[in-house]
Amino acid sequence: MASISRELEKQLIERARLREQGAMRELIELHKDRLFAFLWRMIRNHHDAEDICQDAFLKAFASLESFSVQYRFSTWLFTIGYRICLNRLRSKRAINSDTDVFTSTPSGDESSGEATLESREAAELRKTVWQAVDRLSAPQRATVLLFYRHEMSCREIARILELPVATVKSHLHRARKRLREIIESLSEKELQEFRSLSGLAG
Amino acid sequence: MNCEQAQQLFDAYLDGELSPSLATELGAHRLRCPECRRALALLEVTGHVLTAYDDRVSLKEGFEDRLLACVDDRSSFRQRFRRAMYILGPLAAAAVITMAFLGAFDRNPGRWAGEKVQAKDSAGLDRLWQELDETADAEKGEAVDPRALELDRWGRKMQKNLQSFQDLTIYQWLDVLEKAKDSSAPEDHFPGADPSGEPEPEDDLLIEDVVGGGR
Repeated sequence: MASISRELEKQLIERARLREQGAMRELIELHKDRLFAFLWRMIRNHHDAEDICQDAFLKAFASLESFSVQYRFSTWLFTIGYRICLNRLRSKRAINSDTDVFTSTPSGDESSGEATLESREAAELRKTVWQAVDRLSAPQRATVLLFYRHEMSCREIARILELPVATVKSHLHRARKRLREIIESLSEKELQEFRSLSGLAG
Repeated sequence: MNCEQAQQLFDAYLDGELSPSLATELGAHRLRCPECRRALALLEVTGHVLTAYDDRVSLKEGFEDRLLACVDDRSSFRQRFRRAMYILGPLAAAAVITMAFLGAFDRNPGRWAGEKVQAKDSAGLDRLWQELDETADAEKGEAVDPRALELDRWGRKMQKNLQSFQDLTIYQWLDVLEKAKDSSAPEDHFPGADPSGEPEPEDDLLIEDVVGGGR
């Protein structure tokens, strides 16, 4: 995960405010992958995620004047991306109200590992966990993704989701409880595999 | 520690926020209780999977170039729009004012033939405006009220100075123009009489004809 010092980031932002292409390109390269990964996990569609990613950067650059350098650019960028994502999810839900936006099987965007027994089992485990994540509500899913995948603190997550820290912790608690319920509802066989892979005693 | 108390500590334990003493208590309970042991282990493994998993999805090639092209488009549009408003905005305002004056004068044809109207200062222009406001709108193509012509002449001067003086009030503009005005201009004459008497034959005067004819 690319990261730069606060001072360097401030300099980049100052240059980007002057519409310096080099600075904007550098900011894009620093943050695009993480942002895209988050958005893709939220929206579960490559084209939409890329669209939202582009929109988020455009909005961020358009309102750089109002950005306060006391915050990290990534925090702000993720906030914008999350807002756009939520709007997109709501409109999808409005159009397809009878359809679960999140299918039980990922859309084929995930690539598979090597064709060994171990890898297949590991892939199954990951698939199970990620399917469970897909079934969380948008705020819970965002909290889980930002906490585990992007290793953000609850305070940072609170800024991005524009929620109080206590609410973020509540989302995390409920998300973990929900994930446990979903995983425990798996068939006994899958659960045995899950246990053996995770080294749990019977 | 019972199971309910232990489960209440799961989140803090997973977030690394548990004090050493409570962590010890939880660990002791975990060793004794298979249910809690399993539940916590499930959550730990789930966390490991979420942290470790590589999505292996990436943006399409050329994302930065496409994005920067959009940024360029938007910022150049914004700059052009701002530039256009800077110039067109005051011009549009002046055009509206001028058109309002032209539309307000009394178009009784030929009524003002021979009358000279000249506003020497801002007070004079005030009076002209007031008189025009009281005059009914006229039909298109009828004789031009010299009061309107005078205001139009001032308006054209204003237009030329708009970019410099756009922050001034109308009266400040007038004062500036007054200072720049030709000091040898004849004294002003205002049509004081009411519009009465027989209307003169129609005379299709154009502003340019009159203004271009000089004073």
